This record gives sequence, structure tokens and C-alpha cells, in this order.
Amino acid sequence: MMTPLLFEQLYHREWSELELNLNDIADPKGAATAGRTPPSGEHVAGLYRRACDHLALARARSYPAYMIDRLERMTSQAHQVIYYRRDFGLAQLRQFIGRQFPSSVRRHAPYVAVAAATFLVPCVAIGLLVHWRPELILSVVGSETADSFEQMYSTSAESIGRVRNASTDWVMFGYYIRNNISIAFQCFAGGLFAGLGSLFFLGYNGAFSGALAGYLTARGLSSTFFPFVATHSAFELTAIILSGAAGLRIGHALVAPRRLRRIDSLVEAARDTVVLLYGVTAMLFVAAVIEAFWSSAKWFPATVKYTSAAICWTAVLDYFLRQGRRAS
Amino acid sequence: MRRVLDTVVSVETPEGILLELRPAGLTARAYAFTLDWLIRLAVMYAGLMLSAFIGGIGIAFLLILFFALELFYPVVFELTSSGATPGKRVFGLKVVMDNGLPITPAASVIRNLLRAADFLPFGYGFAITSMLLRHDSKRLGDIAAATLVVHEPPAIPKIVLSQVAAVAPVTPLAREDQAALIAFAARAYVLTPERLDELAALAAPVSGDAGRSGDDVTRRVLGVAQWVLGQR
Repeated sequence: MMTPLLFEQLYHREWSELELNLNDIADPKGAATAGRTPPSGEHVAGLYRRACDHLALARARSYPAYMIDRLERMTSQAHQVIYYRRDFGLAQLRQFIGRQFPSSVRRHAPYVAVAAATFLVPCVAIGLLVHWRPELILSVVGSETADSFEQMYSTSAESIGRVRNASTDWVMFGYYIRNNISIAFQCFAGGLFAGLGSLFFLGYNGAFSGALAGYLTARGLSSTFFPFVATHSAFELTAIILSGAAGLRIGHALVAPRRLRRIDSLVEAARDTVVLLYGVTAMLFVAAVIEAFWSSAKWFPATVKYTSAAICWTAVLDYFLRQGRRAS
Repeated sequence: MRRVLDTVVSVETPEGILLELRPAGLTARAYAFTLDWLIRLAVMYAGLMLSAFIGGIGIAFLLILFFALELFYPVVFELTSSGATPGKRVFGLKVVMDNGLPITPAASVIRNLLRAADFLPFGYGFAITSMLLRHDSKRLGDIAAATLVVHEPPAIPKIVLSQVAAVAPVTPLAREDQAALIAFAARAYVLTPERLDELAALAAPVSGDAGRSGDDVTRRVLGVAQWVLGQR
């Protein structure tokens, strides 16, 4: 008659071997110092399948907990080793930049359009309103903030876009990264609330930027403001709009899950949009570099700034519209 | 019965076995989070000291450090082989996909970016609500990323019944009875002698001692457990 102890006696050598192999896979250096060769995949897979059989038997026969626990441990560890997908590498990165990211943006075109409209309509509307009646800026920000904006972009400032105390370009780089990324990720995460959060953050940030631009032009500071924002906005605004679009996609997946369960629909949408978020993070990084080191430099004439802006905007739009369409 | 009461999540593998994952609840995760938070605080404080020492460019370093800690601290640690931040490791937790596999980079990024939503309306309110409502204790980020925070329990020690002589049961035992006896024997060393006797009295019919209790009965019942285990 088969008893638990007999069962263990029969198979414990196989189990120990599997455990040893799994340890060697997890810690190849330790295996090398102990003078063991790396285990072959086929061999481990064979031992794994045997252990699966033994686990099923042990469970069906209600063998002692410690034995089932040991088998569960080794099978789950082997399962992780065997089925884990390692999907990182340079080829993957090239594939991502050359194809995945732009095609994912095109696939999400309706969401991008809605996100862009949600950002741009309040931006332009509030911008014109504030330009027409500059005192309305006070309904968006406090008077001190309005003053500091004016100071930042005044024609006599040493550098544009900030008040320079003891700070350096690097400081502002750190600041921009933090600020922009948190705005972008708010626009994304807000999507979990049926997309309403995304709409709110997009609209709010649009209105805020519009108010700032309207106020500064009304104050006659457009000659410093627009050269400053023109270049990096190619990356920054598109990135914020794209992360808002990702949020809207998630919200839409929740509200209208089609033929999936709501939760599966959400998981699918999140998996799809993470591609956009990788791209958004990279774009915000580029935007922060430009904003800190190029946009604020005052010694370039406005025409140079506008030229660089035109090049960047064309490049970004062209990238999203055309990159990765043809099979290579 | 166990399935109804327990929060275990079972995942079937292609080999046809069920892997059992034990989701970590709010308390364990809150401890781990607090520890991680303290670690980050300590690093930020060290950075602050250092930047005050360097000046100018130090502030830049500090801002970038803050940002990196906020976003990359969990992602980087979750993608290591342990699948857990230092805080989670201390409390025996780990992040896995809800099919039992190690967490993928994409899932880690999703669950940590969605922290922003979990944090709302304040103090991780949505995360806490979601964890308390769901039997698998997922927060919003976990739901979207299809991840699970699970306990990594320590291994169950082998049963040691060295001084008990095996006794053959007087009646044939059903499989459930055998399992119950073995589980009882496994706990023999963590129970007080009085409780051990009480429990043994319940199982006494297996050794033909129905209705009696005491040291000898306990010894014989454990002997039957020894016999069922296969010690003859």
C-alpha cells in the first residue's frame, strides 16, 4: 500500500534534483562556484512535469501538508522559470520607436482627437478672454502668481521662463521633469474614473496655459513668451494630450466594455495604452531637456527659436502620421 | 468549505495543476508601504544633506532624485528577481501577475502609474476601499495591470514524531480522516498538552479508545497518525 512516507522515499531524489536545478537557475554564480554545470532546459522541464504529476497525486490523496507545500513551492518556482517572458533589449527598443509607438498613436486617433480638443478649446477660449480682459487672470491664479509670471517673462530678465536666483539650468530640468510628468500621469490616471478625470485635468491644464499666454500677450510680453514655449511645446503638449488620450481609452473601456467583462476590458485597455505611456515618458524627458537648456537661453534671436520650433513640430507630427506604416 | 472561507486564488497551469496564490490584505500591505515610505524618506533626507553640501547643481540632483524615487523605486525593485520592494520583502510579500508568473515590465509600470488614481480622493482612499471590497485585495492599479500582491509563506516544517510507536487503526480510515489525523500530528508540538489530549479524545475511536482520554490515548492516536504516514 502506498503511504505518504513511501511516496516521498520513492520520489524525493527527483524533487531534490529539481530544487537544486531551480536554485542554480536563480543563482548561476553560486552554481558555477560550486562547480555545477548549468542545467539543461529539457531536463528541468521533464522534472517539472513529473513534479506536477506528483503534486496532483499528493493533493488527491490528501498527503501531509509539508509534502504538498514542498511540491507546490517547486512547481510554482519552475512554472515561473519556464513561462517567464523576457522582453527587453535593443531590438525591442528599435521596434518600439520605429513602429509600435507611432502606430499605437494612430490606432488611438479618436481618443487623441478628443483629448486634443479638450485641451485646446479651453486653452484658446480662455486665452482670448484673458487677452481681452487681463484682470480675468486673477480668477485663475492669485495676484502673486500673476506677478511672478510677468517677472519670469519680462524682457529685462536674464533668462526666460523663470526667475533666476541661485538656480541653474539643471535645477529647472529637474523641476520641469517632475512637474510635467505629474501633470501627464494625472491626465492618464484620471481615466480610471470613467474618463472624467482625464477630461478634467486636460481641460484644466489647457485653461491654465491659455490664461497664462493670454495674460502675457496682453502685457506685451509675447516677444519673450512665444519663442520660449514654441519649441518644447512640440513634445510637451503632444505628450500631455497623448497621456490624456490613454486615460480616455481606459475610461471608455470601463464604460463600454463591448463583449468583454468590464474588468477584462480594463486590463486589455491598460495593456494597450502602456505603449503610449512609455512614449509619453520619453517625450516629456526630451521636452524637459529642451525647456531647460534651449528654450530659456536668451542670446538666440527669436527667428532661430521659431525655426527650431517649426522643425520640431513638423518632425513630431510627421513621426506620428507616417512613421512605421510600411513593412520594413 | 475551505474555498468559501479562504481568500486563496487558484491558477491552473498548462500542466493541469493548480497553483495557489495567497493575496496579501490591507494590513500587511500598509506595513510594507510604511516601511518603503520610511526608506524613501531616509534616501531623500540623505540627498538633501548632500545637496546642501554641494549647492547649485545639488538642487538639480535632488529634484531628479525625488522624481526618480517617486516613479522608479517600486518599478525597479518589482522587476528584480525577488519581485518586491524592500518593504514588501521584509513583510514576506511579493508582486506577481495574477496568473502566478513574475511581473512583466509593462504591468509594473501600469500598476505604479495608476497609484495617482489610487491615491484619490486623499490618503490612498480608493486603494483602501478597493482592497477591502475585493476578496483578492487588489487596488485599482492591480486591477488594471492584472497583478496580485501575495504572501510568500515560510516552508511548512516536516512532521517529527520520533518517540511515538506506530499503531494500526482498528477500523479502516476514510481519506479525509487520514488527512485530519496527519494534520493533527503535524500540530502536536505547538499545542499545549491539555489541548492535545482534548483533541486526541475526539479522534480516539481510531485506536479503539472511544470515550476515553488521557496521556496514553493521545500517544496511541499519534501512533495511528504515524502508521497512516507510513511508519510501520
